[in-house]
This record gives sequence, structure tokens and C-alpha cells, in this order.
Amino acid sequence: MSESTPTGPIHLGFLTVFQEGAGYVGGYLVTNSWGRPLEFRLSTAVQPNRVQHILYGATLQEYLCADLIGKTLIDKCAQPIEMLFTDSLTVLPIRTRLEIPVLAVVPQDDPAVTFLPEERVARLQDSRSSQPLLYDPRHAGDLPRIQALLAGVDTGLDLSEPFGRIREAMSEARKLGATSRAA
Amino acid sequence: MNAELETTSTDPGLAVEALHFPRFDAHLLPTVREARLLTDSPWARLLGGLDMRVQTEGWKFPSPPAEPVNKPEPPPKQEPDAPTIDDGKLPDPLPPRPKPHIRMKPTAETVVFKDRLMYLLQPPLDNLFDGKQVSVPHQPFPYQLEGIAFLMPRHSALLADEMGLGKTMQTILSIRLLFQAGLVKRVLLICPKPLVFNWTRELKLWAGDLPFEIFGGDAQARRASWLVSNCPLKVVNYEILTRDADILQEPGVEFDLCVLDEAQRIKNHDSKTAQVVRSVRRARSWALTGTPIENRPEDLINIFEFVDKGRIPPDTPIKRLAALTSECILRRTKENVQSDMPAKTVYDLSIELTPAQRETYDLAEKEGVVRLNSLGDTLTVQHVFQLVMRLKQICNFDPLTGSSAKLEQLLADMEEVVASGRKAIVFSQWVEPLEVIARALKDFNPLQFHGKIPMPDRPRVLDQFKSDPTKHVILMSYGTGSVGLNLQFTNYVFLFDRWWNPAIEDQAINRAHRIGQKHPVTVKRFIMENTIEKRIAEVLERKRQLFNELLEQSGTPSAMGLTEDEIFGLFDIKSRPRK
Repeated sequence: MSESTPTGPIHLGFLTVFQEGAGYVGGYLVTNSWGRPLEFRLSTAVQPNRVQHILYGATLQEYLCADLIGKTLIDKCAQPIEMLFTDSLTVLPIRTRLEIPVLAVVPQDDPAVTFLPEERVARLQDSRSSQPLLYDPRHAGDLPRIQALLAGVDTGLDLSEPFGRIREAMSEARKLGATSRAA
Repeated sequence: MNAELETTSTDPGLAVEALHFPRFDAHLLPTVREARLLTDSPWARLLGGLDMRVQTEGWKFPSPPAEPVNKPEPPPKQEPDAPTIDDGKLPDPLPPRPKPHIRMKPTAETVVFKDRLMYLLQPPLDNLFDGKQVSVPHQPFPYQLEGIAFLMPRHSALLADEMGLGKTMQTILSIRLLFQAGLVKRVLLICPKPLVFNWTRELKLWAGDLPFEIFGGDAQARRASWLVSNCPLKVVNYEILTRDADILQEPGVEFDLCVLDEAQRIKNHDSKTAQVVRSVRRARSWALTGTPIENRPEDLINIFEFVDKGRIPPDTPIKRLAALTSECILRRTKENVQSDMPAKTVYDLSIELTPAQRETYDLAEKEGVVRLNSLGDTLTVQHVFQLVMRLKQICNFDPLTGSSAKLEQLLADMEEVVASGRKAIVFSQWVEPLEVIARALKDFNPLQFHGKIPMPDRPRVLDQFKSDPTKHVILMSYGTGSVGLNLQFTNYVFLFDRWWNPAIEDQAINRAHRIGQKHPVTVKRFIMENTIEKRIAEVLERKRQLFNELLEQSGTPSAMGLTEDEIFGLFDIKSRPRK
């Protein structure tokens, strides 16, 4: 990864995928470096059937979150981004499908993080997050670029805050029936 | 003894016969069926769809303007060494509670889903100002952020905060953020003529990156401003707006947002001003007023003809007004926000001289400077001082016509003060202006406290001001009103003209702002634009800042007044007195 200081405006992506009653849903928000919204996209709900559960096995969650929902949301968005944030560790593997750094902003008391082996995740401290930022140590080469990009992000932007907006927007969409079950 | 059992036989009378079942006679014949599994090639049975599909839907939003280059953060100030505390026995401190974010919310009338998303997905307002994304001279108070969150999503809004709570600043920041979000491109601000300069000053202070133009000049110049200029924010006073009523109907004269300051100016439905204001073509309508209009139903109805025509149907019972308008009105009083506000807030109100005052002032200054320059070596600081005093008096009142821009503004402000049930002190360095002001404010039952009031009468005057609810204002001179008085039930202090020495002003202000004061005190200093008052204020402010930086004192000593050199520096005087 190049260490060069990014030139031009920095666009950030915030991706969340979670399970609810109708299945797995995803929301994706693209912002500028101040956190102002540029584009928003959400997915329909995906509910795997029993056969899919059995056949995909332990890879089901990663496939759903990173490949099916996460990658689709990012590819469908017109606005390219320089860095992706997610609030779910299951989305972190999306890094292997993208050419940009991916960081997870997850509360440290989350059991998924607490019991995570040290070698599975690397930590990075930044003033824009009260929690350490997590990334895949297999992509440790991203670190200089991550730090260069973070330097261009406004110091007032709390990196965990946009996820609250995304969930609220998704809740609003549900109320208005903007999402429906996938075939 | 063994009892012998007796048995008897009984015939039940049932006939028993054997039935013949032919099936049991047949032999068992095994059959063989072909097992395809053993003979056919292996085949797979479809379990149904295994692939999963997802659909997405997206929305794009207007691009914010180009981001400024992030300036490096200034180094933090070095705090003096704090005394160490042995906290070995102290309980573990609770983790700091995260402060709640102040967010914009779409209103109930925002029905288009994309518009609702637009507001839901905006960053919190406190983050915008905390991180200096939107540079501001100082952090807005939480209630002001709530005011901005109230205004921004609304197409129809009436901001009716009590005077001194910062309606101007909240409006300017809301406009600025709307521009940055790409939600508006053309804004018209309508205000009273005396306040144009104040709006100019506040716009430069709170929205330095927002270009604006002020309507003025001859008809041709104004026509160009209306029809040709692409300036995103245009500021016009009521008088010019009324004069240019015809131009407002021309194609292309329309605005994404129209803001009306001192909206009570249109409370008379049939006035020309009200009709012209309502004729402005606009998508959003915001009105600002400090008067508690909820107490004046007719005024409220007429203002809403601008804010949201049709919201109040004709013949609506007065008791239904609140329910119909509550979604569009935000009013906070000092009691509501006192936990947010500092105990004392000082505003400099920049006002333009009336035409009569301007003519008199310019002539007096020109002739005065000529005379000072003609004095040569005989010039003393007293000569300059006399000219300064004369010009300051003209800033108060035009000696020929009596017109006074300050008095006009004071009258408007006092209406709000009285309507809010508050009391005010008005200071001047002379007695004569106070007497003129007293006549002008007669409807508010003013009391006077200055050198012409006999000493035995003064305690009664103060008692009356304190206890009589109909006495809303007391007029004081700095000399008599600055020392030894206790008026902490007063919420507003107006400095009609300013004293030379900031320390004396501070003492005057502290008549109201002192221990025992329950509500925040608003201090308004009237400063006339492009006059000696402005130049003196700038010098005093520089000295105050320098002093505070050097010595960090809470009060200002008497040596903070203007020096002789500074007095001479107020004018373009070529000669200096011999030392």
C-alpha cells in the first residue's frame, strides 16, 4: 500500500450488517471527511433457509455480511471511498474483496472482541474513536495509508457515531416499507 | 378351617362359530421389484434455490461545498501544575457519561422519504462545531444548537426566543449549514433598517465564508441586485423591500429561504409592508421575534400568514391556535436556558445613524478636525476631547431634528422587555439624553436616577423600581448608577452610550449582574457604525484583550481608559501639542 498523503477530498464508507426478524439487512453510508452524507444505500432482508444454513456452515455469516450484502452495497454506490468502517467484526473480512483499508469500530466489551484471539485482529488507537480501531493483521501493510487517511478526517468526527444514523435511517425505511424480503 | 368352594356352571347362550377367510388359504407369494439405485447411474435431487440474492436501494444527496484544508491544531495551553490528590482511598470514578448529541430531525410534514433521510443522516450539530468543521468564534450553547436543529429541517418556522438568547446567531448558523448541505442556494433576509449593520457584523462573525450583499443605492442598482446578482444571501430592509415591490413579481425573483427579522413588523395584516413581505416568492419562511406572540393571538395569526399561509384557517378559535402552530414555534426564556447560558452576556449592537444624524455628524467631524489642525502648537488633548464629546452626543441625538437611531432601537427592544415581563436599566453618561429617553419611553413608566434627582428621593426611586411591576425601566447616569446599588432583579442593561473607561462600565453592568441574580443578564451596548464610537470601542477592546492576556484579572483597573496618544489617534490630526 502506498504511504503517500491522500490528495483531494476523502470519502469514508460506514457499513453495518445485522440480523433482525426478517433476516440479515445492511446499511451503507458514504460521507465526506466531516461526516456529512453523500450517499446512502440499504439492502433488502436476506433470510437463509435451512439448507443454506447447513451447506454454508460456519462460512454463512461471513458470506452474507461481507460478500452478499456488504460488497453489493459498496459496488452499487456511485461514490467511491478511500476507507471503510464497520461496526461488526463479521464484515471485517470484506477487506479481501476490496482494495481499500477496512477498520472495525466495535465496543471493547463486546464478547466478540473480548474472546477474539490476539492474532486475529490488530488494534489502532485514534482520537476519533473511544474504542481502538480493529483491522485484519494480514493486511498490516494498510497501516501507513490508514494513518494518512485518518489525518485528513476531521477531529470532531466520532467514527462510531454514523452507525447510529444508519440504523435510524434503516428504521425509518422499515416504517415506510422501503425494504422487503428478498426472493 | 378350609371352606370348600362351590362352583356352578352357567350357559351364556352364545353360539360360537368359525369364519372362513380365503386370504388365509392363499399361499404367500414373494414379489421382486427392481431397485433403480443399484442399476441406474447416480442422480441428484434438487433441494430448491441455494443461491441468495439481495437487492439494494440508494439515495444521493447534494454535495457539500469544497472542504477547507485542515489547519493544524494549536498546541494546548499549558495548565499550571495542579495539586496532587491522594486518591488511594477514593472510590473509583464513574466513567464519564457521553453527552447527548443534538441532532436534526425531520418534521412530521416532511413526507418525501429522501428528504427525511437527508435530515436523519446529518452529523450531530455539536460535532460540527466541536471539531471546527464549521469554524465559529465560540461554541454555541446547547439550547442554541437545539434552536439550529429546530430551524434547519423546517420550511415554516417562528423563532421567538426571548431577547438576548441569540436568535441572530442561531439563524445565521442555520442558514450557513443549509448552504453547506446544498439545501438552499438563494436566501433573502429582511430586517429593520437600523439593524442592517448589526446583521452585517454578525454574518461576518458567524458565517465568514458566506458571501452576502446588502441592498442599497439607486433604483437601477437595486434592480441589478434583485435580477442579476447571483449572491447567495441578500439582505434588504423593510423600506427598500416595500419600495421595490414591483420587482419582486418579475420572473426569477424567488428564494429558497426568506427570513424575516422583527417579524412583529407585519402584525398588521393590511399594511403595505405586510402585503409586500407576503408577496416574496419563497420555499421556506422563517420569522424571528422576541415578543411573546403567543400572548397576542391576532399578531400570531398575521405573522403566520407569512410563515405558513393556510395553517390557521379563518375563524379559528383562539384556543386552537396553540395546537395548530406549536410544531412551528420555538420560544425559550431565560429561565428555560439559564443552566446553559453564562450569567452575563454582552452584545455590541451596531446601528447606522439616521440620515439626519449622518449629515450632522459628518459635517461636525470635518469642521472639527479642520479646527483642531488649525490650532497648531496650542492644541491640547482637551480640544480633542471636546470634539469627541460633541460627536458622541450627535451619535445619541441629532441636535437639529432630534432623530435618534439608538432611541428607535431602544424602543423596539423595550417593547420586547416589557412583553416578557422583565426590567431594564439604561445608562448614559449625560442626563439630558436620559430625559429625552424618559419622554420617549413614557408608556413603560420609566424611572430616573441621576444627578438631577434629589438625594432624599433616590431610595424611593429604587424601591419603586424594585417593587412596582409596572415600572419596567430605570434610566441612570454612570456617575450615580455605577456605585453601591443593588439591582439584581434586572435582566437587561442597555448602554445607550459608552464610558471612556471599561471599569466604570463593568461597575454599571454589575448593578444587575451580581450574586443573587437568578437569571442571565443581557447587556446591549449601542455602537454607531462609522463613527467615533466605533473607533473608541475598537481601541478599548484591544486594550482589554491585551490586559487580559497579560495579567488574567477578573476586573479592569482604572488605567484601562484611553491614553492621550490614543485620544489624538482617533482623528487624522497632523499636529501634536508640545511636550
